[in-house]
Amino acid sequence: MSYREKSAWISLLSISGIYAFYFWSVLHSGARAGGVHVSGLLETIIALAVVQTVLTIGVAISAPREAKAPRDERDRLIDLRATRFAYAALAGSVACACFFGAFNPPIIFSTNALLFVLVIAEILRTGCQIVQYRRGA
Amino acid sequence: MGTISNEIRRLRFEHGEMTQQELAEKIHLTRQTVNAIELGKYSPSLEAAFRIAAVFGEPLESVFHYSEGR
Repeated sequence: MSYREKSAWISLLSISGIYAFYFWSVLHSGARAGGVHVSGLLETIIALAVVQTVLTIGVAISAPREAKAPRDERDRLIDLRATRFAYAALAGSVACACFFGAFNPPIIFSTNALLFVLVIAEILRTGCQIVQYRRGA
Repeated sequence: MGTISNEIRRLRFEHGEMTQQELAEKIHLTRQTVNAIELGKYSPSLEAAFRIAAVFGEPLESVFHYSEGR
């Protein structure tokens, strides 16, 4: 498995796990509290940064040569395809969020719905990268 | 859609059993990309194709072959 693919796995698993915990906590306490989970979100972002940094450093130490090498044309193509795919999903999801926003939902719903679609778009982007790396294309 | 095949594996063998990593370093690509090109899973850019041909001292059409698909 290449360094780039390992990095994509780190992003996918860390984002999925940490944001799943965040949204779970919002569903179980945030709605009742009635506020936007600013501190919870801040903790989530910090946890994500720490986990990704530590794991990426670990992978880079195990393959320093690959980690230092710049992305080549295939890496860039894979990234472009994944971003295009995720953008289409993001645009559709934001349109849905705007539609439901017209029904005046609580602010916690709107804020977290937008955050949710951003997270889903990022998961789709890294997932699409992994699929392409697995296929070899 | 047509298909692009190549002679990279044979040429590597004929050039002192050059490894994929050695070829990758000469043409500024990753070993995984060289492997994907060899297996026909990824079609390189024209620039990369010329660099590969130059490493082996062969014209482009001796390294890469294009055939019309059905």
